[in-house]
Parts: sequence; structure tokens; C-alpha cells
Amino acid sequence: MTKEQILNALEDAMNVAQNSLTMETVLFDVHEYDSMAKLSVIILADDDFGKKLTGEQIREFSTVGDIVNFLAS
Amino acid sequence: MMSEFKNKKIFITGASKGIGFALAKYLDGCGASLLLHASSDEGIKRLKEEFLSDEHKFWQADFFNPESFESKLSSILDDFGPLDGFVNCVGVRMRRPINLLNVGVIQQTMTANFVSYMELVKIITKRNRFNSGLSIISISSISAHAGGAAVSVYAASKGAIESANRCLAKELYKKNIRVNSIICGQVGTEAYNDLMASKENTTDPVLERQYMGLGIPKDVVNIITFMLSNQSKFINGQSIPADGGYLT
Repeated sequence: MTKEQILNALEDAMNVAQNSLTMETVLFDVHEYDSMAKLSVIILADDDFGKKLTGEQIREFSTVGDIVNFLAS
Repeated sequence: MMSEFKNKKIFITGASKGIGFALAKYLDGCGASLLLHASSDEGIKRLKEEFLSDEHKFWQADFFNPESFESKLSSILDDFGPLDGFVNCVGVRMRRPINLLNVGVIQQTMTANFVSYMELVKIITKRNRFNSGLSIISISSISAHAGGAAVSVYAASKGAIESANRCLAKELYKKNIRVNSIICGQVGTEAYNDLMASKENTTDPVLERQYMGLGIPKDVVNIITFMLSNQSKFINGQSIPADGGYLT
């Protein structure tokens, strides 16, 4: 998956408009990034990337790029 | 009450962890004969390490595939003898917002938590499989009553059990079988610790409403054993809260 595709998957999981997120977007500034969106990221990581995200890890992400890089790694 | 369980035959599913395990420990101490279920190899190993004796039997089964129950369980039950109690402690916790639900996940959760339970009740309530006074208890959840974000399917599966139990109670009382549910609040088990480690927030919002604090497995075991015992013989088809005040 390209970073572009991961961004789109993330937008889908977080229920935000396509192409509304960039690698630089600060998560704190995304109105939709609430606890349900965080849970959605955990599920996306597990379902589509086979990665287990802990609660501690999810709290450490500060930009959208942090999530994308984690999923792509 | 302890002596009441001596030589009684109790079937516990989900016995290798949490509330099921604590219940098995207590009833073993009372001299009951136990048929203990676990889903995994490690679960069965843990049960055998803890409870290996001529009095107890073990059954490994995957609750995602209840079709296989009857053939495997029949001979074990024939060997074990008629049941005095059945406590279903299996519960697959599933947290998913609606946009990430899919048919497979929904069906699996309903199968493991509800369909498998119904199939087991069918099997154990056949003639010669139970003694008069059999008490059937299933563990439900506060989420079935209060709801919770991202647990729609889990809550529905528990609600389904409680609804079914109200019907089964009316259907089975003539055979002198009682059927009840325990509405469990948040209890500090291994599963709870796993849940908290995977949670996006550090505090548990449930405990804001569960004002008596996090329960311990024994808190729920005490209520289960009361419901198993003859002392609760006038209660049927009910959902009994063990919830630290959550629903009040």
C-alpha cells in the first residue's frame, strides 16, 4: 500500500472526507479524532495491516504522518 | 452454603480465566464435581494443572463452531452424569464502531456469545442429562442494559441471552429447571486488563458510573453460587445485577 492509499484508508476509518488529511495534519486539530476514531485506527491496524496497537502507542501519535508511518513500517 | 455443593455436578464454560476460573476454584473447594470448558490449548492446560482429579472432567471447544458440540459433548456428559448446575461464562468482547463492523464479525460475535449458549442449553436439558433442580446461569453485561459506544453487537449478544433466558425459564420450569442471568459490571480480570491496555483512553469511563469501584471475581462468584443454590429456588427468568451500583 502506498502512503496515499494508507491516508485514504485512514480517512475512511475515521469517517472524514477523502483527501482531507495530509502527513503533516496535527491530530489534535482534527475535530473528528475522538475516542471512536482512535478505536477505529486500532481496528484498521489490526484488520488491514496485521499490527497490534496498544492504547499507549495510540496516545503517542501526534500527526497523521505518525500513524501512516507506523502502518507502513 | 458451601456444603450444599458437595458432590454436585456443575458444568462451567469459559472456566480457564476470569470469573469462570474463580467460580471453578470456589466450587472445587466445596467438593463439587466439575465439567470445565476452555476454548484454547493453553486454557485446558491451565485447568488441568489446577484441577486435575478423578472428580473433574474437561472439554475443549471452539465457541465459533457450535455445530460440533453435540457429537463431542454427548459422551462426556454421559460419562460425567446428570448436571445440577450450568454456568456459561464464555463471552467474546468485541469493540467496533458501526463503520468498521462487517457481517463476518457480527455473526462471529453472535455465534460465540449467543448461538453457542442456546445450543448448550438444548443439549444439557435433554432427558437424563440433568437432575431435578438444575440451575442454569449465564453471564450478561451492563452494556446490554445501559449501552455503550462501539459495543453494539456485544451488547446485543448479551441482551439476546437475557431475553432467551426469560423464555427458557417459562419453558423449563415444569422440568424443575431454573434459568437466570447475571448482569455483570466491570470486574478486574485478565480480560479487563487486556481491554484497558488496548484502550485509547487511560481512565475507564465505566468506573465513573460504577460508583462502588472495580469488582473482583469473587464479588460475582458469590452471586452465582447463590443463584446455583437451592436458596434462590423462588427466582426464575431474572437478570440479577452484580454491577457495583452501575445500573442504579
